[in-house]
Amino acid sequence: MAKQYDVLFRLLLLGDSGVGKTCLLCRFTDNEFHPAHISTIGVDFKMKTIEVDGIKVRIQIWDTAGQERYQTITKQYYRRAQGIFLVYDISSERSYQHVMKWASDVDEYAPDGVQKILIGNKADEEHKRQVAKEQGLQLAREYGMDFYETSACSNLNIKESFTRLTELVLQAHRKELAGLRAAAAPADLARLDEDELPPAGAEEAPKACWC
Amino acid sequence: PANGSGARAGRVDPYGFERPEDFDYASYEAFFSRYLVVLTRRAIKWSKLLKGHNGIQKSLKDMNRTFPDNVKFRKTADPCLQHTLYNVLVAYGHHNKAVGYCQGMNFIAGYLILITKNEEESFWLLDALLGRILPDYYSPAMTGLKTDQEVLGELVKMKVPAVAELLERHGVMWTLVVSRWFICLFIDILPVETVLRIWDCLFYEGSKILFRVALTLIKQHQAFILEATNFPDICDKFKEITKGTFVTECHTFMQKIFTEPGSLSMATISRLRESCGERLLAQG
Repeated sequence: MAKQYDVLFRLLLLGDSGVGKTCLLCRFTDNEFHPAHISTIGVDFKMKTIEVDGIKVRIQIWDTAGQERYQTITKQYYRRAQGIFLVYDISSERSYQHVMKWASDVDEYAPDGVQKILIGNKADEEHKRQVAKEQGLQLAREYGMDFYETSACSNLNIKESFTRLTELVLQAHRKELAGLRAAAAPADLARLDEDELPPAGAEEAPKACWC
Repeated sequence: PANGSGARAGRVDPYGFERPEDFDYASYEAFFSRYLVVLTRRAIKWSKLLKGHNGIQKSLKDMNRTFPDNVKFRKTADPCLQHTLYNVLVAYGHHNKAVGYCQGMNFIAGYLILITKNEEESFWLLDALLGRILPDYYSPAMTGLKTDQEVLGELVKMKVPAVAELLERHGVMWTLVVSRWFICLFIDILPVETVLRIWDCLFYEGSKILFRVALTLIKQHQAFILEATNFPDICDKFKEITKGTFVTECHTFMQKIFTEPGSLSMATISRLRESCGERLLAQG
């Protein structure tokens, strides 16, 4: 049986409450958009497999509650992530200001080589814009991150930004992944402190553990 | 029972019962004048809380994210319960400044409003739940929540060890699968009628009931959970076990929660809360 994917890793969505983290995720994994959905409590995740550069990548995307006090729960997940989306809402100056705080928390709790990109969401709400695109670009430059303005509502730059972060993670783990396409079993970058068994269809255990 | 305030008690009481011939009006009025003070104090407190303004409002972005699938909470509804919800939550934020507003409280207040259809009563019931019945689930450090998740983990170890072992083996933290159970008191997890039956017991018997429900769900579906072979599978199983006829049949479900988990003394819960709390504190 053909292996279902070559590599597995985790991405994490961070940002203030109400910036649209869950909507970004639903648009990406299910191509759905629900303008009114229930607020996220605690942590949840969805999975999707995409192909980047000929490699089948299974990504587990973690969605977190944005309210500050929930960080006491969500920060436990930072160290398990290989890539992080820092999300703000272009119609909320406050959410943009808070990106700095989110970024410093990532520095504190996430692993060293974690890849980050900046997302200015709700780009369709031009009439409510409080954060200029240039401000987003500037902040991204300061942190050495890529930047996308996205809209889960109009499906702008969703696939692009998720694919880009995936590429960045793949590049960061290039060495570990060398020869992957020839390998028979999937590599599990997410395999940090839990033993995840390979999925049905990948009978053999991974030949190596990249962690 | 605010009518009759000030006036002499009538022949028929506020509930429709005729007062007996030998009704002791003097002591009843003495009682009522004392009770009236309490009612008035609450009413004044409530109106003051409604008028107050501070930073709570800023964090209240959840009004249209509370029950988007409930017609009474839609913007177009008349009356729109989003306003009622807003008032209850702002008032609670003023009343209990140490807690303020925590996501999750919106769902609880929302249910109370749907059931009581009364803003002020919802507020006082919310206060009873958050202030007296539940440990500090919603305070900024969420210590009570984190503790109770660990307590559940310990109880599962004792009562359904195979499941505890499975989660441990795959590195699934309890917080991932059960934080919403505790924070939302099973709202949006279990069917409405079942949630309300659980809440009846919660108000009556206290927070221990939440463990009974959680343990019942896990124990009843032990074999099903144990089919999981990886991390995402386990998480899916925990979502699945909150659906289906077992939880819809709320009457038998409520009987089950008192038998299935076996004995569960408050002494055990208190002891575990203490040890788990200490462990969390040590971890920082």
